[in-house]
Amino acid sequence: MSNMKLLEIKKLNKSFDDKKILTDINLSLSSGKIVGLLGKNGAGKSTLIKLINDLLTPSSGEILVNGEKIGVESKKVISYLPERTYLNKQMKVSEVIELFKDFYQDFDEEKAIKLLKDLDLDINQSLTKMSKGMQEKVQLVLVMSRKADLYILDEPLGGVDPATRDYILDTILSNFNENASVIISTHLISDIERILDEVIFIDKGKIILQSDADKLRNKEKSSIDEIFRRMFKC
Amino acid sequence: MLGKVLKYDLKYMIKNMRVFYILSIFFAITTRILFEVEQSVIINIIGQISVGCMIAMLANILINTMTRSWVRFSSSLYKDESYLTHTLPVTKNDIYNSKLIQTFLFLFIGFVVILISLFITYYSKENWQVITNIVKNITIGLNMNTIFFVTMFLIVVFLEIFNAIQCGFYGIILGNRKNNKKIGYSVLFGFILYLVSQTIVLSLIFVYGLFDSSVMGLFQTETVSIDANAFKILLVLTSLLYVIIIYCMSMLCKRTLNKGVNVE
Repeated sequence: MSNMKLLEIKKLNKSFDDKKILTDINLSLSSGKIVGLLGKNGAGKSTLIKLINDLLTPSSGEILVNGEKIGVESKKVISYLPERTYLNKQMKVSEVIELFKDFYQDFDEEKAIKLLKDLDLDINQSLTKMSKGMQEKVQLVLVMSRKADLYILDEPLGGVDPATRDYILDTILSNFNENASVIISTHLISDIERILDEVIFIDKGKIILQSDADKLRNKEKSSIDEIFRRMFKC
Repeated sequence: MLGKVLKYDLKYMIKNMRVFYILSIFFAITTRILFEVEQSVIINIIGQISVGCMIAMLANILINTMTRSWVRFSSSLYKDESYLTHTLPVTKNDIYNSKLIQTFLFLFIGFVVILISLFITYYSKENWQVITNIVKNITIGLNMNTIFFVTMFLIVVFLEIFNAIQCGFYGIILGNRKNNKKIGYSVLFGFILYLVSQTIVLSLIFVYGLFDSSVMGLFQTETVSIDANAFKILLVLTSLLYVIIIYCMSMLCKRTLNKGVNVE
């Protein structure tokens, strides 16, 4: 059991019609890491994340979470933040909290309410009356209020102002336990660089680099952001 | 987990449908009051408008139950909300069963509200007498129990609409397996499935007719009078076939869903 990887992806391929989106992805992830999934727009980051979250069906290959195929058990331990607003707009924040409490045993309601207060979000407000940025903050709070094994955050900083980004990163850092891992997909590398343990570079549907963040920085004698810019220079 | 999924599906439908239920009853009561008060030209005009509004609400209840069920199904399985639905720790079977139960319940509630509205608007001893006489004439002619006839007729209509809604569900599932023009394919597949299900019902009744001459009489255009026994069999057989088709299609829907989804 101790050798079991939190996330293991084997020979994963995804195509739409004849168009290959992901090609032969092999990846394994242990507990206690913050991993940056980095790549240009359209590189396949979101597709990979959607596959892990059962939102897409693989063309071939296998995804295992704690040794089990994607399903009810994997969904109990993965806390996922998509890049879009996905909550029913007719609901109030308090109703969404109730929904998360109903479905996720690991959801910490008190923590959610505290985080919402920190972000000046009204628990009784309807989501329709919130801006897109506010809705994204609510979603982040919900996701980070779970005691999950794996957090998958797809562009968590995309729609928020720079002032809130630091708060969000601190929220991520201070709200997951040491046995959990976090996968953050973003192209705002400079903002998240300080918190990364590992990086995965993805380009044209293939993983072109997976490395420990510090080792890579020492080897290349530059920041991850600079390495990324060099690698993906147009 | 089915109960939890159902709780949120029902909440959604109640939020969207309650306005039609309330307005339907409201216009039924208004019409009734206007019928009761002393008639004048103005009261008569308002009364006719009120009747029109009530009938529009009744139609809305049926149309909205169908369209809202499809919209809810599509949005929670394939649109933005699907990012939550598919990441909840519930099986695809539970998600589908919840949608089916929700549809069944709201179609039933819709039927009840329509009957209540009609009752409020038109009930009087004279009207009741007229209706019961009409139904009695039909049932005596068909040698059938009145309650049996009315119940079976309502069940057939209910199952017919329920089947149409589920054809829409399966159409949405199949349409979303395509990579392009998903809405167009969903409508097309739903329509084809509905035609296929109707054809199956009709074909199986025809096959039954091969062994029962009274039922076969229904297919022969030269037969003018309807055989009482054949009509009874037709009602029961149609209901039974719809139940079987609805069950089989729900199994197919779940099987296809369990193969995986590709959300936008």
